[in-house]
Amino acid sequence: MANPNIQIDDEVREMTDEEFAAYQELVANFPTPIGG
Amino acid sequence: MATTTNYSWSTPDNTAYVKDGASAIRTLGSSVDTTLFTALGGAYPGLRLIKKQTIGTGVSSVSVTSAFSATYENYQIIVSGGVASGYSDINIQLTGITTGYYWAARYSSYGSTTPQASSTLNTSSFFVGSGTPDTNHVNCYIQNPYATKAKKMTANFDNLLAGGASGELQGFNLSTTSATAFTITPSAGTLTGGTIYVYGYGIS
Repeated sequence: MANPNIQIDDEVREMTDEEFAAYQELVANFPTPIGG
Repeated sequence: MATTTNYSWSTPDNTAYVKDGASAIRTLGSSVDTTLFTALGGAYPGLRLIKKQTIGTGVSSVSVTSAFSATYENYQIIVSGGVASGYSDINIQLTGITTGYYWAARYSSYGSTTPQASSTLNTSSFFVGSGTPDTNHVNCYIQNPYATKAKKMTANFDNLLAGGASGELQGFNLSTTSATAFTITPSAGTLTGGTIYVYGYGIS
């Protein structure tokens, strides 16, 4: 299964495994969204 | 000596010596420089668009580089248009600062008059806006992202949803790390389209 896409300025590409691990850690720390 | 109509900048007479041309150009240039600096209120006055970044299709995070510099202390970041794959919070992390974000929200649900609040301690990003299937929006002010000072954030959110909520966001990070870039990440799903605008407030 492909990793999510990351954008850096104009470049859009699939996250590397390292970037995906950092992304997962970041998202895991987000609180439950309010209202949505 | 001849002068210009509005600001009386000195210009060479038709009969002036060509050998004095370099000096005449320097004098005129300095006059223009001084007048503009005074009229505009400094070298980088007012609110200036620093960076404009179109968001791609189906991206889970967007990094904007070269956004902050010594030219400005205070910035406004706007995300306008585009859609999210679902309802989500939009979060900003300053590059090089991965912890120490504190934010608090004062908000109310649509259809309710009851004040509500939410807050976090020492998290990994600032909550600064909302992603929705109708349009995304961020209107965020960040003070000192580049300066080696504590960071301050002010923003708002709105779910754009009958059963949703809207409110004000305040936050800080005591890190004195200098950030030149930031990353926008929805709390879930992806973003497609829309534009990120970064403005700097002139300091001189």
